[in-house]
Amino acid sequence: MESGRYSNIKIIANAKIESLKGQAGNYNVTVLKRPRYVDEDLCTACGTCVSYCPVEMPDSYNEKLVNSKCLYIPYPQAVPASYVIDPKYCLFQTKNECRQCEQACKDLKAIKLNQQAEHIDIQVGSIILAIGFDEFDARRKKAYGYGEYPNVITSIELERMLSASGPFTGKITRLSDRKHPKKIAFLQCVGSRDIETNAYCSSVCCTYAVKEAMVAKEHDPDVDITIFYMDIRTQGKGFESFYERAKTKFGIKFVRSRLASLERIHESENLLFKFVTEDGKHHSEEFDMAVLSVGLEPSRTAKELADTLGVKLNKEGFCQTNEFSPTSTNREGIFVAGAFQSPKDIPESVIQASGSVALASGFLSEVRGTLVEQKECVAETDLTGEDPRIGVFVCHCGVNIAGVADVKKIREYVETLPDVVYAEQSMYACSKDNQDKIKQIIKEHNLNRVVVAACTPRTHEPLFQETIREAGLNRCLFEMANIRDHCSWVHANEPQAATEKAIDLLRMGVAKARLLSPLKEETVPVIPKGLVIGGGLSGMIAALSLADQGLECVLLEKSKLLGGNLRGIYYTLSGNDPQKLLRDTIDKVTSHPKIKVFTEADIKEVTGYIGNFLTRFSIGQEEQTISHGVIIVATGAFEYEPKEYLYGENESVITQHSLEEKLALKNFNSDDLKDVVMIQCVGSRTKEKPYCSKICCSQAIKNALKIKSIKPNSNVYILYKDIRTYGFREEYYRKARNEGIIFIRYDDNTLPLVKEENGELRVEVFDPILGENILISPSLLVLSAGVDPGDNRSISKLLKVPLNFEGFFLEAHVKLRPVDFPTDGVFVAGLAHSPKPIDETIAQAQAAAARAAIPLTRGYVMVEPVASIVDSEKCFGCGICEYLCPYGSIKVISDEDGDKAQSISASCKGCGICASKCPRQAITMGRFTNEQIIAQIDAFSLATSDV
Amino acid sequence: MSFEPKILGILCNWCAYAGGDLAGVSRIQYPPNMKVVRVMCTGRVDPEFVIEGFLVGCDGIWVGG
Amino acid sequence: MSSNVEKIGAVMVVGGGITGIQASLDLAEQGYMVYLIENSPAIGGAMAQLDKTFPTLDCAM
Repeated sequence: MESGRYSNIKIIANAKIESLKGQAGNYNVTVLKRPRYVDEDLCTACGTCVSYCPVEMPDSYNEKLVNSKCLYIPYPQAVPASYVIDPKYCLFQTKNECRQCEQACKDLKAIKLNQQAEHIDIQVGSIILAIGFDEFDARRKKAYGYGEYPNVITSIELERMLSASGPFTGKITRLSDRKHPKKIAFLQCVGSRDIETNAYCSSVCCTYAVKEAMVAKEHDPDVDITIFYMDIRTQGKGFESFYERAKTKFGIKFVRSRLASLERIHESENLLFKFVTEDGKHHSEEFDMAVLSVGLEPSRTAKELADTLGVKLNKEGFCQTNEFSPTSTNREGIFVAGAFQSPKDIPESVIQASGSVALASGFLSEVRGTLVEQKECVAETDLTGEDPRIGVFVCHCGVNIAGVADVKKIREYVETLPDVVYAEQSMYACSKDNQDKIKQIIKEHNLNRVVVAACTPRTHEPLFQETIREAGLNRCLFEMANIRDHCSWVHANEPQAATEKAIDLLRMGVAKARLLSPLKEETVPVIPKGLVIGGGLSGMIAALSLADQGLECVLLEKSKLLGGNLRGIYYTLSGNDPQKLLRDTIDKVTSHPKIKVFTEADIKEVTGYIGNFLTRFSIGQEEQTISHGVIIVATGAFEYEPKEYLYGENESVITQHSLEEKLALKNFNSDDLKDVVMIQCVGSRTKEKPYCSKICCSQAIKNALKIKSIKPNSNVYILYKDIRTYGFREEYYRKARNEGIIFIRYDDNTLPLVKEENGELRVEVFDPILGENILISPSLLVLSAGVDPGDNRSISKLLKVPLNFEGFFLEAHVKLRPVDFPTDGVFVAGLAHSPKPIDETIAQAQAAAARAAIPLTRGYVMVEPVASIVDSEKCFGCGICEYLCPYGSIKVISDEDGDKAQSISASCKGCGICASKCPRQAITMGRFTNEQIIAQIDAFSLATSDV
Repeated sequence: MSFEPKILGILCNWCAYAGGDLAGVSRIQYPPNMKVVRVMCTGRVDPEFVIEGFLVGCDGIWVGG
Repeated sequence: MSSNVEKIGAVMVVGGGITGIQASLDLAEQGYMVYLIENSPAIGGAMAQLDKTFPTLDCAM
């Protein structure tokens, strides 16, 4: 939610694109901004008006499970943090009466009942489409009774029920009787993998169903949960082990079945599931509640937007893209990201977001920075030798604080505290007027510390810090006391206690403020050059993408040739030519003036930190050292070398990769393809390799279809656990079934048995549909070998970046920072991160390049003044801090004075682990020094004086 | 009067303190005994802070992160 | 080809869900002016409705 704080992001909510003129690089867009009837700039989201609004309507944020007023804020953390009036319900808009909200807001005058729609013309160089998806309307599957049977809900409704801040404070509730269900059924693929509605797979529903089931179990361990499904598709990074945990640790039941009917039992309002398991047996079971795992559909605004912009949609109604340029639309300068491109989960969406930025930035690199205003900076007042002069502003927040706590009493108390020279009450401390007033009072009263008692510093501290900075005070001379979120709001019925608590909080804040000192706002210069490690597809795309954004980079490849795993891919499911992609990419990389390629390079040492890395590598006998600002790790992965199923013992047992090569190079005789058996999940989803390799199902189907096209009368058997052809890949799974490819499911208890008898291969496998073992004598046995991360330990050590249990690199945040490492300035892309197909690899490589370009294009790194500071007099170089720092931001350096720790403030996050563990207390943290925290603690203990 | 404990909360900016904010936004009511010191991470918490808290008369200390 | 077009250092991001927000932040940090257009009254999109996210079960906010 931090986007509200950037001065160069202008958020235009309640708006849509009306028309587009001009051409790529210089588009003229007209945006229609619908009236919100509340002035976003004036509204402080105090909420006073809401209690005056007499009209209720269903609350969309809470999936209409509860009502809200028609004058509402969409959800508590909404940006813009402003109320809005729904004109469909508002009495003034519908009947020209009421106007009570205007009265309620007469001080701020933020309610604008006569606001009109605006047409805003905006000139931009490029456009990124990220309109997301809409959930499938479960009413369209009439047989499931959604909207009719009260205890049939959608997965999104369940999500709101599970939320502690949701309509039922985190309790799952039957809508028929408000009781908590004891037996819940999830039904998968509602509006997905279904010819009647959407043929494609929505990619995310299996995972979210597993998540919701687990969370429901955490809330109530006695609840009995069954998930009815066709295939469980938890192919994303880290998802498979959670599926396993759901089965084994949480006792969630998974039933592979087809639903025959879902019936309502009127007396109990329970639901009767009648279903057929794969052995053909019919069952019926009663549940208290049914959850429909609804799929993802194109946004309902997609068609109109695409028409306005001249952007093509695919046959499913999502944005049309090509596998090898997953974030480009058919129009130059217009890019796409997220679920509008295809159904996808959060990490994939975030990756595409950054990936599309790389393309937009590449397209506009020569005009980067031309429209961003630089704020002129007031010189900081020198405070050397001055005693603290503290000014305190106590906020009423309308009635939010003043309606509970006695603000006057608080202000009067504060005036008695040492070093407080000024105290004032403000109606809305955060309003624009008040910022000017604070600045004026700082000057008039010569204040050198400011304390604001209002809401939370997590949202409002930057605003006030900016204000005092504009008045010439260092940002660090500011402190907040949270007397709203942590006080008046949560002690609404105890006004006296709330007043006392607010006084305590302010006394603590003032005690800290007395000890605040100005901290230098440092910047560290960045060498505008990137290093990309690994010359496979992801490394090459990352390098190209950096270069296209106007940045120099060095590409290091360990082997003789560029290309990595792409060298062995000859065709794709959707019919593109990967060998052409390989040739084109190598050509571009080797001929780009901004890219320097070194093959057979072996990295010896990496030192430094964001902006200033130094890497030493060897090529044969020669050594080279380069300096650079960022690192992208794109070291790839390998095909797993099977130890099972006679691989390496019988030459008719091969992997999918060698099959693909054989087929592409026509290196086979006709008999080889007579009876082909493929075994999935070899080296995936096993005890030793518990993760899903994501690509093998599609790879097997691709090769199986190829065999069928070469030799239509061949028999191809695919032995699988779950077929994971997620997204639009589902189409090819259907095609494979239609072309007579035989799919036989196995599980860990019925692993296929492979033997050699008289030189002939024999595969024996239990067929759950027939209910008996079948025997095949294949001409070829193809093992779908998974993706093996190889040994990444040396790179991990060199760069001090972590690996996960499986041996892949571990990103900073699985959802929100999927290409960053915790260490600033180091990024990851491609198979080194996790198994993934070509399109996702390309998007991730571009994403890493976009993220890496941020410090490179800016040219410096801002140092947060919360960084660690080492007192080298006290430090004796024990190195505990270096060992503990999760960000590699403190190091012991040896020089003539001996070993001393040094803070790398450019990448320090201010967590303070080093400071709390330093045996000499030689480390302190900016704005959170020991003295300051102790002063707060001491101030708390002082008896509250008679108030 | 019944015993009213003095509780000190040392809360991480990113999780427990944010949780306190959310409790406020959701108007969840709880007893007013705890006063909060915000830190950027509970890793910042020096055992000294806890000892100091007890020395100056806190009845309970919650390190939340 | 648009080589003779006078390019504008601004990007419009359509859609204020997690994807649009991430794109806007990255563009802003790179020094582009960003216009984030959202159809509904607040940005946040579907993710703002999620209670917890997989696999870390972190709070989605």
